[in-house]
Amino acid sequence: MTKDITLTIDGKEVSVPAGTLIPDAAKKIGIDIPVFCYHPKMEPVGMCRQCLVEIGRPAFDRTTGEAVLEEDGSPKINWGWKLETSCTNPVSEGMVVNTKSEKAVKGQNEMLEFQLLSHPLDCPVCDKGGECLLQDLTLAHGGTESRFNFDEKRHAEKKVALSDLIWLDRERCIQCGRCVRFQSEIVGEAVLGFEARGSHTQIMTTSEPGFDSAFSGNTTDICPVGALTTAQFRFGARPWEMEATASVCTECPVGCNTVLNTRRDVKTGGKVVVKRVMPRQNESVNETWICDKGRFTDFSADSRLTAPSIGWTDAIASAAQNLSAADEPIFVVDGSLPNEDLFNIKSLADEVGAKAYCYSEVGGGELTTKSGTYGKSGAGDAILVIGSDLYVDAPIFWLRAKQAVDRGATLIVATEEETRLDNFASTVVRDFAQGLEAAKEAFSKAENTVILYKGDDALAQSCADLNPTSLVGVWNDANTQGAWEMGYEAISDLDVLKGKTVYVAGKSALVASALEVAKFVVAQTAEDVQIAVSITEASGSKCVTLPSRNISESLGTFTSAERRVQLFHPAVPAEGDTLPGFVITAQVAEKMGVTLDIEAEDIFANFFDLSYADLSKTNPEEKLLIGGNCYENTQGVGVQL
Amino acid sequence: MSLAEKYPQEIEKILAKYPPEHKRSAVMALLYMAMREGGYISKADKADIASMLDMTTTEVSSIVGFYSLFHDEKAGQYRLQVCTDIGCALKGADQYLADLCEKLDVKPGETTEDGLITIEEVKCLAACDKAPMFQVQSPEGIKYHEKMTVDTTLALIEELRKDAQEAK
Repeated sequence: MTKDITLTIDGKEVSVPAGTLIPDAAKKIGIDIPVFCYHPKMEPVGMCRQCLVEIGRPAFDRTTGEAVLEEDGSPKINWGWKLETSCTNPVSEGMVVNTKSEKAVKGQNEMLEFQLLSHPLDCPVCDKGGECLLQDLTLAHGGTESRFNFDEKRHAEKKVALSDLIWLDRERCIQCGRCVRFQSEIVGEAVLGFEARGSHTQIMTTSEPGFDSAFSGNTTDICPVGALTTAQFRFGARPWEMEATASVCTECPVGCNTVLNTRRDVKTGGKVVVKRVMPRQNESVNETWICDKGRFTDFSADSRLTAPSIGWTDAIASAAQNLSAADEPIFVVDGSLPNEDLFNIKSLADEVGAKAYCYSEVGGGELTTKSGTYGKSGAGDAILVIGSDLYVDAPIFWLRAKQAVDRGATLIVATEEETRLDNFASTVVRDFAQGLEAAKEAFSKAENTVILYKGDDALAQSCADLNPTSLVGVWNDANTQGAWEMGYEAISDLDVLKGKTVYVAGKSALVASALEVAKFVVAQTAEDVQIAVSITEASGSKCVTLPSRNISESLGTFTSAERRVQLFHPAVPAEGDTLPGFVITAQVAEKMGVTLDIEAEDIFANFFDLSYADLSKTNPEEKLLIGGNCYENTQGVGVQL
Repeated sequence: MSLAEKYPQEIEKILAKYPPEHKRSAVMALLYMAMREGGYISKADKADIASMLDMTTTEVSSIVGFYSLFHDEKAGQYRLQVCTDIGCALKGADQYLADLCEKLDVKPGETTEDGLITIEEVKCLAACDKAPMFQVQSPEGIKYHEKMTVDTTLALIEELRKDAQEAK
C-alpha cells in the first residue's frame, strides 16, 4: 500500500496516495482543474499548459530539516513565482494549491485564448459540438472576443482521412497529443505522430495502411476537440438529440460495456435507430475503451423477418405441434442468445426430456465454468494465449494482455500464425505443445496464472491440466459462456440433427446449417432469414420461423468469457411484431403444456442466485478515471460469478 | 539500393553505440546518413530506418518533421537558408532575400533551373549581428555565410556551380 499524502486544494483538505497528480486529487473533492492534454490513464506531458495553478510547498530549514513556521504557528508556505502545470506535479505533504485564485484563473483564461488562436470555432457543423471539452472550457474560461487578428488565423486541411474509419480536421486540432499518446502508450501501436513545430505542428500518419489499429475509435472519444471524428458518425446527429441506453457488446465474448446512442432518423422514415456505439466504463472489463469492431457494429437489418409469415398464432401452434409429435426433438442454440432465452429453451428441453446443445467450434465449455476471472494481471503473473489471435477474436483481451505485460506480467503466445501480440510476449512459439511446455515452466514461478485459449476439447483439457488460476475460452459468440453455465451440452457439428425435428435458436448461420440436415426446423432468430428460406426450398425440409428481438431491442443478460454476468437494456423499439426470444419459447411451451416465465427478471432469478438489482450496482469512484466522452457507468458493472 | 544494403558496416557501427533495447536512439545518426546520401530522406529511407530500429514509419517521419535540417523532399544540391527573423530583418534580410530571389528567378522554397540551388527562408540562425546571412546545407555539411549582399551571394553561387561542374 502506498502512503497517503495530505494536501490542501482551494482551502479543502484531501488525502490521496503518494504519486497522485494534482488534477486527480482535486477531482476527488469535486474541483475540476481545466485540462486538455492530461488524461488520467496516461503519463502527463504538460503540453497544453491549460491546467496552470498556484502551488505552494511548506518551507523547511535546510540545516535542521524542521518545518519553518509563521509567527502564528502555521507552517510557512513557499509560493513559486510562476504558475505551474498541475498535471505534471505529483502531490506532496502539506502542499497548498490554489486553482481559483485571481492569478491562477488569469493564467487559465489566457491559455484558453491561445488554444482558440487558430481554432475555426465551427461548432455548428462539428460532430463534437455539445460534448466538446474545448467548448465547455471556453464557456468557463473564454473571453467574449479574441485579441488576435482574425485574418491571421492559421488555416489547415479539414478533411484528412487517417483511415477508412477516422477523419482528422487539422484546423480544430489543439496539439494535445492525447491520440498520439493513446496509440503509443496504451495500445503500443505508434501509428500517429506529430509533424513540424510551433504553430505548424500537426497530427499525421505515414504508416501503411494509415491509422491501422483495432482501437482507433477511442481516439475520437478522448480527443478534447472535434479534430478526430468517426466516418460512421460524421454529420450523423447532435449529441444532445440522442438517448443513451446501457448495453453490452455482442461482437465477442469480452463483454465490453457500451452505450447505444439512439435517435429518430429521417433516413429510416422516422424510426428510432442506433446512431453510434460508445464505451461505458467498467474498469474490470474494458476500462474506458472499446474496439472498433464493437464501436462500428451494424445494427441495421433490412431484410430481417419482422413477423412469422403465417402469423404468430399459427406459427406457435405449428412449432408446438411438430415438437410434440416428434420422437426425439432436439434443441440447439448458439452463444448469441441472452441468458434468459437460453434458460427458457433449456427448461423446455428438460421438461420434454430432450437434448439441449450449444453449438460452438471452441471446446472445453465445462472446464471454463470452474475458474475465475482474467482480472488485472501484472508483475508476478503469467499469461498463456494459445490458439487465438486475440487482436481479431477479442481485441480488448488483447489490450489487457499487452497492458499486463506493461505492468510486468510474463506473456507466452502460442499460435500457428504470427500475431500482433508476439511483440509483447516473452516467449513466442508456433506450436501448441511447445506453448504448453513454456507455460508450465512460467506458471511454476508465477502467482496468478491465466490461459486464454481457442481450440478443441483436447486443447482445452491440456490447458486445464496446467491448473491455471483462470481458464478463459475465447468463444466465437458473446454469450457462449452463459450456455455452459446453464448446463448446455457442447456440439461442434450438426450431424446429430439428421432427420430430426429441431428447435434452433440463434444466428441465421446456425439456422441455415440446421436446415441442411434436419427434417423439421423451428427457427428462432433475430437475423436475416433469406438464406434459410432458400435452403428450405432446396432441401425440402420444413421450417417455421419465429422472429425474435435483437440485443438493441431487448432486456437481458450476457455472461462474458471471464464469467461476468452483465445486464443490457432495450435501446430501440422492437421491429415489427418480433417478440423477445424467451417469450417465444414460453408460448411454444404453453402449447406443449409446459409453463415458463415470461418476464426477463423472473427468468433470471430462476438460474442465478442473483437479481437484476445486483447487476446494476456501480462503482461511482471509478468515474475519476474517465478522460473523454466514455460514458460513466450508472447502470451497473455486473457480477463476477 | 537501401541504406541497409549499401552501408552495412557503418550501420552496424552506429547500432553498436546503443544498448539493443534502446536501439531506436540511433535514429538521428541514421537520418544523417540518409541526408548525406541523397540530400533528403525518401519514403523508402524512412521505412528502411524504421524497420532497422523497430519503430513505425510514422515515428521516423515525426522526427524528420520536427528538425528543420532534415528534409523529406528532394531539392537542389545546395540549400541556401536565409534567416529573416526579426533581428536579421531589421538589418534588411527580408529585402535582401526578395532581391536575391528576383535575380535567381525563384521564390523562397524553390530551386534554380539547373536544379542546384534551393533558396529557403528560415528562422533564427543566431547571427543577427552579421545579417544578412544564410547557411548552405549540402552533403558536405553546413556552412555560414555572413554580411552578404546579393552580389557576393551571386558570386558564391557561381563558385558552387563551378564546384559541382568539376565534381561531375
